[in-house]
Amino acid sequence: LTASISNMSYGNADVTLGGMSTFNMQHGFVEALVRGYRSGFLKDTDYHHMTQCDALEDVKMNLQETDYDTFLNADSTVTPAIIEARALNKLVTEFFYFRANAVEPLGQFMDYITYEYMIDNVMLLLRGTLSGRNVNELMAQCHPLGMFKESTMRNIPTFEANPRGYADLYETVLVDTPVGPYFQTFLEQSSSSIGAASEVRHVLEEVQIEILKNSLMKLYLEDFYSFCEKLGGDTADVMCELLRARADRAAINITLNSFGTPLNDATMRETDRKRLYPSIGELYPAGTELLCKVDDDVKLGQAISSYPMYHAIFEKFLNSSPEEFSIDDEFYKREVRMYELAFEGQMHFGCIYAYVKLKEQEIRNLVWISECILQRRKDQITNYIPIFSSQAEWRAESTRRGVAH
Amino acid sequence: MSSEIDYSCTTYYCNAGWKELLSHLSPYSWANWGIAIGLGFSVVGAAWGIWLTGSSLVGAAIKAPRIRSKNLVSVIFCEATAIYGVILAIILLNKISEPKDKVYELSDEWDFATFYFAGYGVFWSGCSVGFTNIASGISVGIAGSSCALGDAQDDSLFVKILIVEIFASALGIFGIIVGIIQSNSAQFPDA
Repeated sequence: LTASISNMSYGNADVTLGGMSTFNMQHGFVEALVRGYRSGFLKDTDYHHMTQCDALEDVKMNLQETDYDTFLNADSTVTPAIIEARALNKLVTEFFYFRANAVEPLGQFMDYITYEYMIDNVMLLLRGTLSGRNVNELMAQCHPLGMFKESTMRNIPTFEANPRGYADLYETVLVDTPVGPYFQTFLEQSSSSIGAASEVRHVLEEVQIEILKNSLMKLYLEDFYSFCEKLGGDTADVMCELLRARADRAAINITLNSFGTPLNDATMRETDRKRLYPSIGELYPAGTELLCKVDDDVKLGQAISSYPMYHAIFEKFLNSSPEEFSIDDEFYKREVRMYELAFEGQMHFGCIYAYVKLKEQEIRNLVWISECILQRRKDQITNYIPIFSSQAEWRAESTRRGVAH
Repeated sequence: MSSEIDYSCTTYYCNAGWKELLSHLSPYSWANWGIAIGLGFSVVGAAWGIWLTGSSLVGAAIKAPRIRSKNLVSVIFCEATAIYGVILAIILLNKISEPKDKVYELSDEWDFATFYFAGYGVFWSGCSVGFTNIASGISVGIAGSSCALGDAQDDSLFVKILIVEIFASALGIFGIIVGIIQSNSAQFPDA
């Protein structure tokens, strides 16, 4: 992969982190900072108070007692969208505070965390033009952690959403951005199939965009994985495990989402869909081989039956209705558990990545609770996922089984 | 001293090998090296420990300011290892006395046995303290860093982790006790 050194790095990214006895010299401050901010997560009691609220104004008052403090003071009316935007702003402020104090290679590590959001923003802008939306409106919706220069962002929607357009987009706009190398690799890989594809198979623009998004994410995950492996030590152990879980989740989601779209046709499964599965993760290579041949839910369940974790999640998915069960929620629960465990053990970068992801989950929780209050769906309000809670399902499970952790 | 000794150079460095080199190093040199190593490595260990624990302390105190004063104890434990080095250095340098007559060649009545014993004693005593204090300093530093982070989340953890630090700083005490005993009977002759 050519995407190994970002254009924002200041020094040699191959510097090893040092073990227990030297990690704190460079990174002790930021790690301690992040661990201090860990105490700012909403607790069970805070969530409980919020679920008792009847109006969003009460939620705002309850949040004033927590670490969120006066984050909504500038808004006279409160809506879930505003709560989400302000909470995200809080996370972004904290993230850039950590980033400002970070030394290499932690700085580059934190930049890697933001590339995911840059990819999301690029896709948002490209998709937006397909539906003909205003570029200003789209820019207001961009994720603040992944912002480019304004001129770059305004240029993105002006390109066409087809392979020729993507090549132009890369050469003129994206080549200087950190996601440029991912685009470059994607273009190289798909150039071999451009000629054949548009003539033989009538690929919809929608499918093209899906392929682009998933390819970029795959390349990003693989790049991040190899960067963490190079860092070595505890960081490599923790981060590689987290990224493998994400890659597996991406593979399963790609397969699930492709049912009912042209990507699920027998001709496209083996070639295009197979190319989207990341080459890291437990499911690679044997699992992804099986996933290539799958075209409906039941066969998917059989394909992943030898991976107990995913099998359990998928069994639940097959046996319940979409109303009461969302496979995304189960994946989120699993990921929250892994991110909480990433805080165990000092002297590695995993806690910073886990902090960002857990804060995101907290924001999703806040939005869920606010939406339930607004729509008067009090029966579903407790379906948020608790973070650092002693009442979490997985903690209760392990004590029930009498396993000492 | 018979006349059969061959004074011409038989080896490249013009000496009879390690035996001659090590035995011909002046005991004054051994002793002063020992003091330097004892003091130097102790301070390196203490500084390393303070570097490790100080950065965590500063970072964690941003969100939990109450830990500031309590956790300075970790820094004090690190500092103690440097003090052990200074104490031992002062004890050791009091054993080095200048000879009364400053001559180039020592007389035959010079007490060579005590001379060499003192030199080696002071050197290795300094090494004992230096190497144990470097280990103790790093160990206290790592434990102190975890102590600060744990205390920031839950104050009941402070005293418990402090006990781990106390055991870590005991390593430095082992060093200075042995160092003092080692150098006890070492005293340079001055006549």
